[in-house]
This record gives sequence, C-alpha cells and structure tokens, in this order.
Amino acid sequence: MPLLLNDIEMKFHDDQRAVLSHINFEVKDGEFICIVGQSGCGKSTLLNIIAGLIKPTSGVISLDGRPVEGPGADRVVMFQEHGLYPWLNVIENVKFGMKLAGLSKEEQRERAEYYLKLVHLEEYKEYPIHKISGGMRQRTALARALAMDSKILLMDEPFSALDKQTSNKLRAELQQVWMETHKTILFITHSVEEAVYLGDRVVVLSPNKGEIFKIHDIGIPRPRYVYTQDFVELRHQILEEVKGEE
Amino acid sequence: MSSLIFFLVLILVWQAAYWLGIDVLHIFRPYVMPSPIGVCTRFLELLQNGSLLKAVGNSLLRGIAGYFIAVCIGLLIGVAINHFRYLQKNLKPIILGIQTLPSVCWVPFSILWFGLSTRAILFVVVMGAAFSIAIATDNAIKNVQPIYKKAALTMGATQKQLYLQVIFPACLPELVSGLKQGWSFAWRALMSGEVMTTSIGLGQTLIMGRDLADINQVMLIMIIIIIVGAMIDKVIFSKIERKILSQRGLL
Repeated sequence: MPLLLNDIEMKFHDDQRAVLSHINFEVKDGEFICIVGQSGCGKSTLLNIIAGLIKPTSGVISLDGRPVEGPGADRVVMFQEHGLYPWLNVIENVKFGMKLAGLSKEEQRERAEYYLKLVHLEEYKEYPIHKISGGMRQRTALARALAMDSKILLMDEPFSALDKQTSNKLRAELQQVWMETHKTILFITHSVEEAVYLGDRVVVLSPNKGEIFKIHDIGIPRPRYVYTQDFVELRHQILEEVKGEE
Repeated sequence: MSSLIFFLVLILVWQAAYWLGIDVLHIFRPYVMPSPIGVCTRFLELLQNGSLLKAVGNSLLRGIAGYFIAVCIGLLIGVAINHFRYLQKNLKPIILGIQTLPSVCWVPFSILWFGLSTRAILFVVVMGAAFSIAIATDNAIKNVQPIYKKAALTMGATQKQLYLQVIFPACLPELVSGLKQGWSFAWRALMSGEVMTTSIGLGQTLIMGRDLADINQVMLIMIIIIIVGAMIDKVIFSKIERKILSQRGLL
C-alpha cells in the first residue's frame, strides 16, 4: 500500500471554511486512481499536499509507511503546464530528473530513450522545446516523469490545457503506457469522461464542501472506449454526483 | 547603408555649420567651436604619439577590472537579498536608495579613502555598477516561472541543484541584460573617476583638453568614450543576449 491519506484537512489562513476535510483513501501498488471534481472543489490543493508542496492543516500522508514531509523524487508531479526547461532540448529535459538523482550517464540515456520511444518522440529527441507542439511538450513531460521511476506519479490535469482532439489522443496513449508499465498513478481532472476512461477507481469530490462524496470501482476492462454502454452509464452517474444533488 | 549615409550627412552639416558660423557670419569664437576636420587632425596627432592608444588601453583595463569586481559583489548581494526574506525587507530598500546616487558622488569619498590613485577610480566603478547589478539579479531570480522550481522540487532537487540547474539558467536572459546595464553604469562611473584623478586614461585626456582649451581634443575624447562603451555593449553583450534568446526561441 504505497500511499495512504489519513483524515486530511486544509484551511487557508484564518478562513473558517475548510477547503478539504475528512479526506481518507489509499492508493494501492500499480493502481491508477483518478480524483474528479468541479473547479474549486480543492482537488489541485489535494495534489499539492500529496506532492509535499503545501502542508495540510491536519492529517497525515504516508508513502510506504513513511510520513510525507516536503516534496521528493518518490512523488514526481506532471503539471498542467508542462514545466519543461526551454534551455534544454527534448532528451535533456527527460534526463533532467535522473541527473538530479545522480544516475550514471549511460543509464540516463538508456531510460530517456526507452520512455521517449514509449511516448512516440524518439525522432524529436534533439529538438528544442519551442520547436515542438503543445501535445508533444506534454508527452515529453510524461516521459520525464515516467523516467524518474517514482513510487507514485501525480498528474495534475495534464491534458486540460490542450485542445480536445490532442487531449483525447494523449489520454489514449496514457492508457496504453499504463497497460505496459502498470505504474501507480494519481490523476486529478475535472473531466468525468477522462476519469472513467483512465481510472481503476474514481474518487468523486463533492462541490464546495471539500469532502469525498463517493469512491467508484471502475470495472470496465481495458482498453476502454467512451461509447460502450457501461461507460456511458457510469459517466452519466458520476457526472450527476460531481454537479451536486440540488 | 542608409545609416552610414545619414552619418556622413551629419558630419557634412557639422562642417558646414562650422565654416558658416566662423568664416562667414563670425558668430562663433573659433577656440570654442569644434569641427570635424579639427577633431580628425587631433585624432591623428594623438594616435601618432601613442597617447590615445595608451589612454584607451588604460581605461578599458580599469573598466573591465572594476566591472569584474562589481559583477562578483552584485551577484552575491543580489542572490542574498533574494534568498533571505530579512535582507529583502531591510537591505534592499537601502540598496535601491544607494543606486539612485550618481556615481560621481562617490568620487570625493573615494579620494579621501584611497588618494588620487587607480584604486580610487576602481572604487568608484565598483560602487557605480555593483548595486544596479544586485537589483537586476534579484529581479531576474524573482521572475523565474514558479513552475520551473516546482517541477524540479518534485523531482527531488536540493537547494544547490535548484540554484545551479534551474534558477540560474532560467534567469540567464534577464541576468545578461542586467549585466549589460551594469557595464554601462561601470563605464560612466569610470569616467567620473578618471576626470577627477591624474592617472592616464580617457577621462584624464579629456580634462587635459579642457586645461589646454583644446575643444577639438575634448570633442574627440567624448566621441571615443561613446564608441568604446558602445562597442563593448554591441560586440560582447548583445551577441550573448541574442544567442541565449535564439536558443530558447524567444527571438
């Protein structure tokens, strides 16, 4: 059980209203878990807390039994904005995290090339970042995150800044990558369709209360398609939950 | 090409105005009016006896030495006031204040400390440039996109790695323009220092022109000061700037 969240509560400043409260769930090894909610429901705050970028008001997060204190390479984050470094080319960006970790040059190159191939960018490895498209940048960021081989990969709406077509293409690729690697992934999104498409389980945050409304087990076999009967039904049900009861 | 023609026309107008004002209308006194021909003659004379090259060489050497010290101090202060919130709050306003002081105001102070020496000139150069470089460094680091730092932190970067591998390269374009501005401050401060002391250099040659009531020499040295300062800017800083920007697709 790599990641465990125990009664997380978050209040900003002296605000009485909690952004997040009573957040309890676990992420199992090799599990793809999606957290879905409307904007303002606190899902990005939750990801930042798990990443260690902000401290919760109360509650404990542990990874493999050790409490999380501050950011670290065992919880790599892939952001909505790619966060690639414009002074490095594609492959140098993918190697960046491994370089920080002090891996040998040989291993950096091998892993970088493996993951660039996985996201179909091997032909673009020497390209500067400004010469590739938005979708390719996000794929580079994915390769960079995967190459770190962290215990869990946190993804903060990684496709929502892209156009619909590219975003759909990338999530299909991510499904493919996940089926090959079975990495433990925690994925934040506001798109119910994306959550049902990708997640083993989907955590629904209720709007405005910052609480978990329900956790769904998505039993649909992979690869998934958005137009099958069970997919459409489940998406409809979760969509209602995300919007709120009123 | 068109700017060369414009430049030549400008010189012709200057020569014509000189000739008109002195030989035809008699409105200028010849010893206070420089002329292109006069400046060129003086240029050739000073070039021939070697004093011009020596002055340029001395000034450049001093300028570069002072600038180098100013860069070291400026970067250090800049990083420090950026890193420590206490210094940001308390020291930065003082540095901003000192930076508004024209560098010539450091000259009396410097002469009292170091006498009429090269060290006094260096001191003025360092004081003239270091604080502007410090402020520019602080601003450059502040403008680094937060996502760059966040990404590195979640990849396990240490503070040292964060500075060397993320913040430094990320703020490089802005830092270089800060250093470029620092050079122009250093070059101006150098002239303030040199006109006050007696060590051989462009500033001192300029003052000698005044003492000899030689308006052509004064004009000549002023032009040379502009050319040397601008050359360093164009040849060194602009090249580096363009290279960094084009590498990142910002040009």
